[in-house]
Amino acid sequence: MTGATPIAPSGLARLQAAAAAAGLAVSAAAAWPESDDDRQVRPLAGFIVSTFSPLLAEVAERVLRRSGERPPGRVTALVIVTALGDVTSAAQVAETVDAGGRVGPLLFFQAVPNAVAGYLAARWDITGPVVCVGSIAAGLDVSRLLIDDADADEVLVVWVDVAVTEEDRDQAAAILAAGTS
Amino acid sequence: MTGPPATCATAARNGAGVAVVTGTGALSAYGRGTEALLAGVMSGRPAFAPVQRFDVTRRRVRVAAAMPGQPALPTELIGVVREACDEAGLAASARARTALFLAVHGDPRIARAPAGGRRRLGTEELAAAVAAACGLAGRGTRSYTSGCVAASTAVADAAATIARDRAVRIVVAAGYLVETDQFALFDAGRVLADDGQVRPFSAGRRGLLLGDGAGAVVVERGESARERRAPALARLAGWGRAGDAYHPCQPHPEGRGLARAVRAALHRAGIGAGQLGYVNANGSGSRDGDPAEANALRLALGDAVADVPVSSTKSLHGQALEAAGVLELIVTLLAARKGMLPANAGFLGPDDACRLNLVVGEAAPAVPRYAMSLNCAFGGANTALVLGLP
Repeated sequence: MTGATPIAPSGLARLQAAAAAAGLAVSAAAAWPESDDDRQVRPLAGFIVSTFSPLLAEVAERVLRRSGERPPGRVTALVIVTALGDVTSAAQVAETVDAGGRVGPLLFFQAVPNAVAGYLAARWDITGPVVCVGSIAAGLDVSRLLIDDADADEVLVVWVDVAVTEEDRDQAAAILAAGTS
Repeated sequence: MTGPPATCATAARNGAGVAVVTGTGALSAYGRGTEALLAGVMSGRPAFAPVQRFDVTRRRVRVAAAMPGQPALPTELIGVVREACDEAGLAASARARTALFLAVHGDPRIARAPAGGRRRLGTEELAAAVAAACGLAGRGTRSYTSGCVAASTAVADAAATIARDRAVRIVVAAGYLVETDQFALFDAGRVLADDGQVRPFSAGRRGLLLGDGAGAVVVERGESARERRAPALARLAGWGRAGDAYHPCQPHPEGRGLARAVRAALHRAGIGAGQLGYVNANGSGSRDGDPAEANALRLALGDAVADVPVSSTKSLHGQALEAAGVLELIVTLLAARKGMLPANAGFLGPDDACRLNLVVGEAAPAVPRYAMSLNCAFGGANTALVLGLP
């Protein structure tokens, strides 16, 4: 989770390339890590054990802050892309259950990736659909469909990949995308 | 924010194509196959029983709707996809051109796999494996993990993709089989009904109970089904998706997001609320969720809410999490085609906060032309799917 921190995270590049391929314009972007300062993500109240939800919220809020003031009534959808989900929390639950223990109630509330979506939606008045998919290609395809189908004016796409081994590091990226016309 | 989105052009909401369902496959605690599901639901007898599949001695609640034995999710997913493709009469060549949208919580093995092996156990890998085993296309196959709206979102996306002429046919499948980790989490969250029954919209309701569920639907362009001479079981007439913008795990008390999803689905279907003949509600049996849903229905349906029959079939087959949207859509389709509306089981008496025209007692004869299935999830995610019956 620590160590060398590349300036150009691959997740963001892949999000941007997929957005271009889907014919979507990106108005703001963010990643984790973006600099050597991005070593430990800020904790998020109510979310424990795992960096999954804090990372997701961090990159999403960076994008929303960078996008400037959004016009009232603008409908934003939230599309979360995660290949493994919150595997850190899942492993913790499995370990506790196998040891015959009781899991903490807070882990229930973060059992699915869209719980943190509710946190973001409430804070930023995101009233569009909330969708979680397993690949960047699917995420941008869904985003294009939501815009074409008039279910959203713009889509906040957030990709999260938490470290699963000691050698891994947490990565995340987010873009705000809209149609080009 | 209770009306249609102000800046979204409503004209864009209908694609040129018509999406129909030509095949269904299902598994529940009532057994394998859609016939077992329909018979179980129409019996009005809830499928809840003490959990035998894993140790629940340390749990506060020890009941779920689970089929006997230790069913394996990939095997059961393959089973329901094949059942749906067989009913749709899809030749091997057609299956090979059809992508799979798969809604699941995750690969059941990932939480206990060695850390170094977890990257091979993603949901995309599971979707690809199920697609390959069923002779479906790898290209376009994808996975959805949005909790209790994962499957209904996948159905909406499939319908929209087909209506926009971006695919001829998509198989949507979903599965959740009651297992020890989610059971422990739901027990820890104190949301399971400690009286062993799910009582949606009822006075004295005590919460939800988990249930096995797997389902698959073949969603196809109407024209393609006609060319293949495959009967359309129903049209996917409308779909809507909207967020509450309220809380990580509580619904908006007024049901604002769900109301917008319902309105969008009715708008796409081109029908008024009075034309709805049945609603299979999300109806989890929770203290806060059921009143929020009743409020959403009052907001979205207006005066028609007094007449539209409503039940939640979760009171019979349980909460199937990521599979709920497809399982309940299939129940809705089967019931509407049979001309019998499923009962809202476990009903003890009215709750003023949940005033709806509930189907109570036993299944009620009716032949709806339009029927709606609703789902809600953490994060304030809501979906509405409208079926048009032939």
